[in-house]
Amino acid sequence: MADWLERIRVLKLTKKFGSYTAVDNVTFTVRKNEFFSLLGPSGCGKTTTLRCIAGLEQPTSGEVYVGGRLVSSLEKGVMVPPERRGIGMVFQNYAVWPHMTVEQNIAYPLKIARVSKVKIRSTLSNIVDLLKLSGLEKRYPAELSGGQQQRVALGRALAMDPEVMLLDEPLSNLDAKLREQMRFELKDLQRKTGIAILYVTHDQVEAMAMSDRVAVMNGGVIIQEGTPYEIYKSPATKFVADFIGTMNFLPCEVVEWRNGCAVLRLRNGSVVRINSPEVGRGSHTLAVRPEDLLLNREKGVDCQVDVAIFLGNAVDYRVKLGDDILRVQTSADNRFEQGEKAKLEVQRGILFP
Amino acid sequence: MNSASLGRSFDVRYVITAAIGLFFAVVIVFPLSLVIAKSFSSDSGLSLANYGRVFSDAANLKALWNSVWVSVLSTAICVAAGSLLAMLVIRTDIPAKSFLRLLLLLPYGIPPFIGAIAWSQLFGPAGYVSKLYMSITGAASAPWNIYSPGGVVLVLSIYQFPVVFITVSGALGRIDTSLEEAARMSGASPFKTLLDITLPLITPAIVAGGLLAFVGCICNFGIPALLGFRARFFVLTTKIYSALSIPDMPIAAAMSVILAFVSGLALVLQRRLEREKHRYAVISGKSVRPQTMSLGAARIPLFVMVIAVALFAGVVPIASMILTSFIKYWGAPLALKSMTLDHYKYVLRIPIGARAFRNSLFLAVGTATITMTTGAFVSYMCIRARLVVARVLDFLGTIPYAVPHTMIAIAMILAWSRPPIVLYGTIWVLLAAYLVTYMPFSIRTTNATLQQVHISLEEAARVSGARWSDTMRDIVLPLIKPGLAAGWVLVFMPAFRELTMSVLLWSQGAETLGVVIYNMQDAGYTQIAAALSTVVLLIIFAGNALVRRLSRGEIGF
Ligand SMILES: Nc1ncnc2c1ncn2[C@@H]1O[C@H](COP(=O)(O)OP(=O)(O)O)[C@@H](O)[C@H]1O
Ligand SMILES: [Mg+2]
Repeated sequence: MADWLERIRVLKLTKKFGSYTAVDNVTFTVRKNEFFSLLGPSGCGKTTTLRCIAGLEQPTSGEVYVGGRLVSSLEKGVMVPPERRGIGMVFQNYAVWPHMTVEQNIAYPLKIARVSKVKIRSTLSNIVDLLKLSGLEKRYPAELSGGQQQRVALGRALAMDPEVMLLDEPLSNLDAKLREQMRFELKDLQRKTGIAILYVTHDQVEAMAMSDRVAVMNGGVIIQEGTPYEIYKSPATKFVADFIGTMNFLPCEVVEWRNGCAVLRLRNGSVVRINSPEVGRGSHTLAVRPEDLLLNREKGVDCQVDVAIFLGNAVDYRVKLGDDILRVQTSADNRFEQGEKAKLEVQRGILFP
Repeated sequence: MNSASLGRSFDVRYVITAAIGLFFAVVIVFPLSLVIAKSFSSDSGLSLANYGRVFSDAANLKALWNSVWVSVLSTAICVAAGSLLAMLVIRTDIPAKSFLRLLLLLPYGIPPFIGAIAWSQLFGPAGYVSKLYMSITGAASAPWNIYSPGGVVLVLSIYQFPVVFITVSGALGRIDTSLEEAARMSGASPFKTLLDITLPLITPAIVAGGLLAFVGCICNFGIPALLGFRARFFVLTTKIYSALSIPDMPIAAAMSVILAFVSGLALVLQRRLEREKHRYAVISGKSVRPQTMSLGAARIPLFVMVIAVALFAGVVPIASMILTSFIKYWGAPLALKSMTLDHYKYVLRIPIGARAFRNSLFLAVGTATITMTTGAFVSYMCIRARLVVARVLDFLGTIPYAVPHTMIAIAMILAWSRPPIVLYGTIWVLLAAYLVTYMPFSIRTTNATLQQVHISLEEAARVSGARWSDTMRDIVLPLIKPGLAAGWVLVFMPAFRELTMSVLLWSQGAETLGVVIYNMQDAGYTQIAAALSTVVLLIIFAGNALVRRLSRGEIGF
């Protein structure tokens, strides 16, 4: 990948607050036209990483490149101030200026850049149309809904015509319905503009739905990076497996390996086989997605249906397998009653030490 | 709640409300309206003659003009100094922030007239600093004169700038720093961010603080009296004092109404700004990171400068006051052997000293107790019982907030020096004046305190089977007690050292501490005044410590 295609490159970035390490040796790259998400639980260092890239925070060590230019490196004595990085940023709380109208908010970056009045007019009307803010230009933020304020913040970031945009949980203050709608709009916007987006969220559904690539963070460290599909299908650690989607965890014993197949004994004594790269014998944890478990009446290990929740298009079961409770999903056509004895087939699974 | 459960308490509440209403009408509304009536009356009935006399007399006009320019200039200094210091302390990486904050608020705790005395000790013709200057330069006199318009402006500014400092630092602390960061991300430099974002956001606070400082300056009596009289420099408040000693009641009344009008206008504007705050209320996230600007190499020099300002404004005057109270005679060399406790002994021995203590203590305790009790009832009826008539009480009780103390004193003279009720010439007229003055403070504190106790706590008690009286005793009172206690001390302290009204209303046997300190200083007994002032300061700072403890650091300085 040529350097000029890299919009953001973060190299061994570390940020300490006193003795506390908020971001620990983080490395990743965001490319042109890419929607890249930092995904992790609250307090894992996402915002801090974003602020280091923006220049609002001075990294303790490591380097940050924006558009191929080194903007931050303590070792090399480089610290480009935020206003000269040319990055668009949307803050978690929008940070829309309450003393300026919608128009003034959006046009501010242009005013600062001394863009001509005529050019400001046309850019403004483009953005207002794009974000469906027309009619609200003269309003003050206090007269806007949360969703509208959010669009203003987005518009202000877009007005800079940036190659890179940082978004810090921009949807977390919106209600569920609006959030879902904005997901599509953001994705659409990115496709139209070709801006590289670095998106921060703790909501895995959001990250999965919008991102080209996702980096899962925990405790200041990037644990896994890949496409949403890769991360969902092959989580690298138990944490990722647990954090992304729904996952059942079963303690088990690897008894033997036979032609790329692991033979496992579960706690209740039943034996299961799964395809897996070889990881050795002994105590392990088997991780299985609900949709990779097949509840049926013919094949598999014995189990009992504990709770069945009808969801309309599917049925969600809690199934008892010895002392373990598993979540299983089946289509609504093939239904089991609460308390019914059944069989469970493990179609896919991952072994973690 | 059905009407049966309200039962008797319902009636009791109306009786109490009516009683307080009558009390307010007699003690507050009646005297104040007499002043206005007096200012518009002449031998020929209703007329503008008194105002005509005010505006046609060159000396009165001069005093009016002096009041205006002195207050405007002092306010400008307060706004500049208060805002800059707030910026420095809240928004930069200056060291020892909370210590600096405390130090800068110190002048707030010093009664202005005591401050004026301290400043004349320092910068008067024979003051410590003046003598130091003369001994260093060999000059025959210092190039400054504290007994001058300039001195009045300087000392007014020093005792009013904390008001601006408090409002502006509050506003700065409330700004969501991401608003400023968003400007940086939009390409604005730190300086441009300050101009375009920070300043506009704190402008309402700066203006509001400035208006409060202006009112504080224009209504102040002690400073222009102690520093202006000698230079024959009069402002409205001191001119009213002179008019009263002639006595020329109609002119005093007219001038006080003019003063009330000007300060009332400023307060109305300030209240409006206060209410506008919500316009700037937008969704704000949970994380408000304290963003501080790096001062770089200027950090230590600026720190030293702020410390110097703070010492100059607060610590040095107090030190001077203490020193003066121990020194054998004014002008004695500063050595240990010139120190004595004689002045304290003297203060305790002379009848007037002990009497002043007794009177001030009586007045302060009485005022604090009566106003807090009344205030608690008014607030309860307003906020809890939601009686519409109680709203009227709340309004009547807070009117005096906008009335200058000189006008309240005139109101007392007009109302209580004629039969059937003659209080003038006794200590009771002072109590009446103090009650009027401090009623608004009490109502505000009790309102704030009661608002913190959610009504559901009371309802929970009622649902658990408690009667109204049980609920009051077991739930409401215990919860509001710390707030009431803090409010009590907050009224006690200013009442204990009150000067403006006391000096206009005192009589033989009814001297207050403020009056005695003022008269001693005026008559040249500097050390006696200093000894009394030191004791007053001690009590004020002890009271402040108490308030801070009671309110867990939320009120006090
Ligand atoms: N300015 C700061 N000072 C001290 N600790 C901080 C500061 N900013 C963030 N932290 C800490 O760093 C950790 C990561 O914070 P943050 O990056 O905001 O997490 P996230 O955005 O993933 O929720 C948290 O534990 C937080 O308390
Ligand atoms: Mg965050």
